[in-house]
Amino acid sequence: MTRGGNARTHERLPVAGAAILALCLSVFSCSAWAQADGQPEEHRLKAAFVYKFAGFVDWQSNLSELPTLNIGVLGAPEILNELAQIVPGRTVGDRAITARGVDPADLRDLHILFIGKSEAARLPQLAAALQERGILVVTEWDGALMQGGTINFVIADRRVKFEISLPAAEKSRLKLSSRLLAVAHRVVGAP
Amino acid sequence: MFRPEARMTSAIAESSKPLRSNIGRILFSAFAWTCPMCAAWGGVQIYDAASLADLSLEQLSNLEITSVSRRPESLSGATASVFVITNDDIRRSGANTLPEALRLAPNLQVARLGSASYAISSRGFNNALGNKLLVLIDGRTVYTPLNSGVFWDQQEVMLEDVERIEVISGAGGTTWGTNAVNGVINVITRSASKTQGALLAAGAGDPEIANAFRYGGKLGTDGSYRVYAKQYSHNDDSEIKAQGYDWQRGQGGFRFDWDGDANDFTLQGDYYEGKSEEREQPIAPGFSLFGDTRVSGMNMLGRWDRRFDNGQNLRVQAYYDRAEREDELAFQDVMEVFDIELQHGVPFGRHSLLWGAGYRQAEDDTEPGLLVSFVPEERKLHWLNAFVQGKFNLAENVELTAGTRFERNDYTGWEILPSVRVGWKPSPSQLLWGAVSRAVRAPSRIDREFFFGFPGVTIIAGGPDFRSEIAIVSEIGYRAQPTENFSFSVTAFHHDYEYLRSGADPDVVGVPVFVQNNIQGSVRGLEAWATWQVARSWRLSVGLNLLSEDLEQDPFPPDPDGLRNLGNNPPQQYLLRSSWDISSAWEFDAMLRRVGELPDPAIEAYTAVDVRLAWKPRRDLELSLAAQNLFDPGHIEYVDTGLFAVPTEIERRVFLKLLWRM
Repeated sequence: MTRGGNARTHERLPVAGAAILALCLSVFSCSAWAQADGQPEEHRLKAAFVYKFAGFVDWQSNLSELPTLNIGVLGAPEILNELAQIVPGRTVGDRAITARGVDPADLRDLHILFIGKSEAARLPQLAAALQERGILVVTEWDGALMQGGTINFVIADRRVKFEISLPAAEKSRLKLSSRLLAVAHRVVGAP
Repeated sequence: MFRPEARMTSAIAESSKPLRSNIGRILFSAFAWTCPMCAAWGGVQIYDAASLADLSLEQLSNLEITSVSRRPESLSGATASVFVITNDDIRRSGANTLPEALRLAPNLQVARLGSASYAISSRGFNNALGNKLLVLIDGRTVYTPLNSGVFWDQQEVMLEDVERIEVISGAGGTTWGTNAVNGVINVITRSASKTQGALLAAGAGDPEIANAFRYGGKLGTDGSYRVYAKQYSHNDDSEIKAQGYDWQRGQGGFRFDWDGDANDFTLQGDYYEGKSEEREQPIAPGFSLFGDTRVSGMNMLGRWDRRFDNGQNLRVQAYYDRAEREDELAFQDVMEVFDIELQHGVPFGRHSLLWGAGYRQAEDDTEPGLLVSFVPEERKLHWLNAFVQGKFNLAENVELTAGTRFERNDYTGWEILPSVRVGWKPSPSQLLWGAVSRAVRAPSRIDREFFFGFPGVTIIAGGPDFRSEIAIVSEIGYRAQPTENFSFSVTAFHHDYEYLRSGADPDVVGVPVFVQNNIQGSVRGLEAWATWQVARSWRLSVGLNLLSEDLEQDPFPPDPDGLRNLGNNPPQQYLLRSSWDISSAWEFDAMLRRVGELPDPAIEAYTAVDVRLAWKPRRDLELSLAAQNLFDPGHIEYVDTGLFAVPTEIERRVFLKLLWRM
């Protein structure tokens, strides 16, 4: 569809284009690396949040008597990995924090359970048991609060936000600080 | 024209193309060489887990994350075929105009006719008229009551400030009214509170130059504003192009948002002007007989949202839109639209109810061109509508949405647009849905009051009895996210049409030929897309669109052009896209689009490859080089069936852009 004169111009273009691109790369990429100020990745932020939550929650069940504050992670190895880097040496009040991977049969002595999206299907069956034990259940999928989750991560405006279910917190005998509620993206079941 | 709550953010799919070709290899080797040296540089501030843990809750929730790609919200309960184009998708596509950004949606057919004119449609019937698609920009309906279509050369937004574009294929009449027969495009710009500070986007290339500037600030504690201006020009040296091809355009506007506890208020407006080059004619080159095409317009919209403690919400929105078009060859028109709408959402238990009403008025003043006129030249049209829609949670994971809309127009009176949608979530990561809707394309001036011909002879005349085109739309869809890194959406549809627009053969019925409703039949097809996050820094997306039309013209009066005038659609279309974050400072994007052969008039299939390389030396600065149509000097995407239609070859495009957020 192109006539002769035009065709010649077209053939030259990709070669020139490639040369320019290659040049750009070789000149600039070093300085680019040096100057980049990275933005955090989603799973890192979530892990930091999970750790932070511990400081804004009062466990009114017998969990409050345990010597350490225990965080469990189900089906989210990335987050467990990050938590493992966060918790050493940190405390909530005067309690040291532990983080471990768990399976549904092993929920003993957990204060917080983070359930990754890959294990989302387990929540509906587990919810009652988790509330019974007084565990703060943190999730990361749409509709998790309806299934018995207490705090659910959502992404809004490229930021990690979280929503809170007050009825679920009440069932698990958790007292959430007003600062936590104030930062929440959405609070479900507020009077 | 409000959308009921259930905002959709669907499983996203774009497309990709892994590196290949010489350019790919050169890039790769250049990168491999420079990389080892970088290791010597230190001081890169990376947020690791431990440093994040030292931030406050508030600070954490204000941090932007890099990978929007891993969208945990990607699977929603929307019981419709919805594809969402995000702000980031637009930026990474290198698009400079709204229609080019729409190419990202696999459920749209986008074909460029000229520098600024497009044929855009969903599920077939694609032509420059495009009268079965509803387009909204921030709640403002932008189709013209003249022909129920969209003049794409008159619609633009500041792309950097777009929050997202929702492309919904299928009928949306219950929610959005007549015209939403085959689809809805919903362009949503960011609240002024999210576009604070200055942004400069400056770029030039062949054949485009595009510059835009925005500034946003605070007004008091709850108020924020932004003002913007953008300029665009297109100068092509293509030899195969229509007269009046080259094009330039300017636009400016503002948005004010006030976000209170229970009340939100928005006021926004735009002004634009555009102009084509002078059109020569073949007899005496250099002498402009038909002049240029000029467009201009302004709009102003106000919206008030009120949330009540009992969960109810109320929205009132009103806007004014004025659009002028001067084209001596075709026609001249000044169109003024006024629209006011109200919407009220009422939750009761696990269910919810949404109802609303609206009034719309369009007043236009046309002047005949050389070939086209509207009689009467001046016309005032009115529309009234009311709708009600209920959302019922039948069981834990089954939701039924049923509703209807009543809409009155001056030509055919009351039209009814009901729909029923059911969604079933067998697990949190799967959704199976189905819907049946009745959609209506009500007559517009071009159907009833249009005259085409030469002085003294009318060849085509609007049909005094032209009635609404009707579609019964059945859809079934499945969306799932089987693993954290993979999601997909598949929708199958069947549309049954009655009373589609047709003409007649002047040799049989004599002139003038009246516009009538003598075509019926069905359109079937499949829309699918998938996204695969291959690695943390690499995302692949694919899109697929299959379409099969079975339309039939009544035997009498015969209309040899009837079917081809309804549109020209590729039976298949594929999209492949790759988004690769080479490092925190470098991005490489590639998109491959394959569009099948258009049947009538026959237009060759084409494959277009677009690539973009971006470098972000600092968080506030981005330099990008984009090439569209990389391996193809030019192709024709569409030829109008009109008398004076001239095919235009869409050429390779190269564009260098600077984006600076201050």
